[in-house]
Amino acid sequence: MIEMDDKSDFEPKIIGFLCNWCSYAGADLAGVSRFQYPANVRVIRVMCSSRIDPQFVLKALTEGADGVLIAGCHPGDCHYIEGNYRTRRRIAALDKILEKYGLSDRVFLEWVSASEGKRFAEVVTDITNKLKELGPNPHKARWEI
Amino acid sequence: MTDYKALEKQIQDQARQWLESGEVKYVIGFEKGDNSPVCRPVFIYKPEDAGKLAWGPLCNNNLTKYLVEEVQIKPKKGEEPDLRPVGIVVKPCDSKTIVELMKENIVPRERVKIIGVISEGTINPKALDKALKDVPLDKIAGIQILDGGDNFTIKYDGEPLSVPKDELLNGKCKVCVVHNPVVYDIFVGDKVTQIDKDEFEDIADLEAMSDEERYEYWKEQLSKCIRCYACRDTCPLCYCEECVFDRTKPYNWNEKTVDLPENFFYHMVRAMHLAGRCVDCGGCERVCPMDIPIRKLNRFLLKRAKERFKVVPGINVEDKAMFGDYDIDDPGEGIK
Repeated sequence: MIEMDDKSDFEPKIIGFLCNWCSYAGADLAGVSRFQYPANVRVIRVMCSSRIDPQFVLKALTEGADGVLIAGCHPGDCHYIEGNYRTRRRIAALDKILEKYGLSDRVFLEWVSASEGKRFAEVVTDITNKLKELGPNPHKARWEI
Repeated sequence: MTDYKALEKQIQDQARQWLESGEVKYVIGFEKGDNSPVCRPVFIYKPEDAGKLAWGPLCNNNLTKYLVEEVQIKPKKGEEPDLRPVGIVVKPCDSKTIVELMKENIVPRERVKIIGVISEGTINPKALDKALKDVPLDKIAGIQILDGGDNFTIKYDGEPLSVPKDELLNGKCKVCVVHNPVVYDIFVGDKVTQIDKDEFEDIADLEAMSDEERYEYWKEQLSKCIRCYACRDTCPLCYCEECVFDRTKPYNWNEKTVDLPENFFYHMVRAMHLAGRCVDCGGCERVCPMDIPIRKLNRFLLKRAKERFKVVPGINVEDKAMFGDYDIDDPGEGIK
């Protein structure tokens, strides 16, 4: 394993759950428009942000992801009318228990619409910087033999 | 002050009456332990056994778990199911569990007859052991505990002991604000006046910690976990026929390895599955062999449910579940 004492060398691994109708299209637009953003995010497309069981997020953190991005349509714009309202409640609850573990800074819930390619690039840049500051996920050590 | 003997008498009489008339299939209650003052669950099928039923501050179990098992039992082929109600003795916290179970359509109201008993706090058996360290071993099973307002009086052959309530009470009872059963057919005891106090004072110190301190705290606690799953098995609200932690196909969510990340995953997912449902009966913490403060995990979620979404589980059957409902005006742009 490469030693990563210097924080500036640390490249966080971010798992991004993007909703099919807004955020994934937003990410696509960011690509098509050639906005630059860090390549740290690994995108998983889901049909709706409410498809994301908090279990998915926890599993990602358990397996050593440094951050998790959950992105969906803006409230009120959900393709399935009410999906993202439900996501908002779930992630608010998840955040509270992550907080007491001191890990809540690693989960991000953002609303990105299909026309917000620029915003997607900004969001990814922003959370990558935040995670670089924060350092690696403490659970990652498990995989470093 | 609670007169345990009088309550016990009322419980026995009611159980006897129900069993004689055949209204109930059986009664789930507590009986005195053989070699210990701690009460254990008992199932009473015959009216003449009703005298076995006991009541006291050492009735710690949440008996509603047996209720869930009763309604989930499938009759054998060709057998007529016996759909008569089951009698059950509940403390206020257990009655909240029944409300939650009815809300989730697990236990129909007509399948259960509830003897609701008031409770001003139950004793933690581990704390009792400490208080009884000077009492001879052979006397311990015969002790009598009386409620004396601010302290418990422990009577045995020798000089009676007086122990302050704060030393003996379970953690959940110290912060509990519901001292009357929420749902009942028969109310036993005199209604206790509602107390007004800060429900979440016990987690204030944890909330005041910094992120790193909290992580270290939980790291220490969760590293102890041996994943015996006792907390899941005792929880009346963990009634899934196939639990996510037992399933290995199509995807093995939780590795069977006992190490910190997997323990972390287990406890977080368990807490999430109880978010907005847990009524804080304290069963998980009671059974934990490693003394992990599991209840605290649920209390953070209770606090968030109450403060942010105005959801208080276990009070009203008509209330919506936290995740079964949403509000367009829910606060929270982002998760902060």
